[in-house]
Amino acid sequence: MRVAAVAGVAISLVVARVSSAQDARLAARLDKPTLVAVNAIVDSARISKLPTEPLVDKALEGAAKGSEGANIVSAVHQLSLRMGSAKRVLGPASTPDEIKAAASAIGVGVSDRDLARLRAAAGKHQVTLPLAVLTDLIDRNVPIETATNLVLQLARAGVKDPDLALFQRNVRADIDRGADPTVAATTRARGLVLRGAPSKPAE
Amino acid sequence: MAVVRSLPRHARLTLWSRLNMPRTFTVKPLGWSVLAASVALLAIFGINRAVDDVRVASKPIVAAVFPNTGAAAVKPPQRVQFVLVAPEAKKVAVVGDFNGWDASHASYQAQHRGGGVWAVTAPVPIGHHRYSFVVDDSVWVTDPMAPRVADNDYGVANSAIVVEEQK
Repeated sequence: MRVAAVAGVAISLVVARVSSAQDARLAARLDKPTLVAVNAIVDSARISKLPTEPLVDKALEGAAKGSEGANIVSAVHQLSLRMGSAKRVLGPASTPDEIKAAASAIGVGVSDRDLARLRAAAGKHQVTLPLAVLTDLIDRNVPIETATNLVLQLARAGVKDPDLALFQRNVRADIDRGADPTVAATTRARGLVLRGAPSKPAE
Repeated sequence: MAVVRSLPRHARLTLWSRLNMPRTFTVKPLGWSVLAASVALLAIFGINRAVDDVRVASKPIVAAVFPNTGAAAVKPPQRVQFVLVAPEAKKVAVVGDFNGWDASHASYQAQHRGGGVWAVTAPVPIGHHRYSFVVDDSVWVTDPMAPRVADNDYGVANSAIVVEEQK
């Protein structure tokens, strides 16, 4: 009996230790049931060696947007699944930023296959900004297949991040002025490739 | 009783002899297994936590000592200017994963520059971030100048920014 009691105390200490590892920001912003559920997802992600900060951010974002607890838990859970998928596709060397950006891309419908193609096309270069641009194009009603092919073309042509950011701003401006999203994106991408970018990613 | 009294008296046990005296313990396999597992768990979490603490605490030190090595991975946040044109707004704040989505964060309150232009230049860590403007503490507005990130979770889109080290 005494042994069981000691074991109980030890387990409580472990639980307390784990709890203390949780983010104090979550405790300040979430109700108890939501906090427990989110912490469980975060712990699970930590064990899977996924970045946990985006999950904490997702929960904080939900709280800031006045979302209900169940919705926050669902959003955090979905993000953890997307990040797991992103890390599997991008590989163990992928950075937390790449995983975050890839999770956003998956969230708007980019397939694992296309993610892998983009990873391969970018070579040693990070795919964070290309993925952000791809997500933006899709969100601006460029069809997923078209947007993916355009960003792949730009990556294969070795277009660098500053030019890619400029491409995104130009497409957005064209769309804001009334251009068809697909035509705007295709035209701007073609112009960027023809402008003489190197034929493969620059080292 | 006389027989008992005739027996030699036990020598008084000292603390040392009590500590050295062999004893017999009865062990219940289940209970002690649970105890051993708990101790192992404590050790694992304690070590993990300690390693994390040391890693976090040592980053700035390592970066300061070896500024030109990979150890200098801790890079300071970059100053980023956020601008929103909102002529009707009374208050504009920037929220994002770099400030815990806290609209009351003092460093991210935009100032009215005139003509409906609100701006704030604030520190943002290097990396990929999602953010938004909050107008009058209630209306979430994406940055018209930045890539947009659809949000199917909370129904309010965000903007994306990739902050790089300024050279």
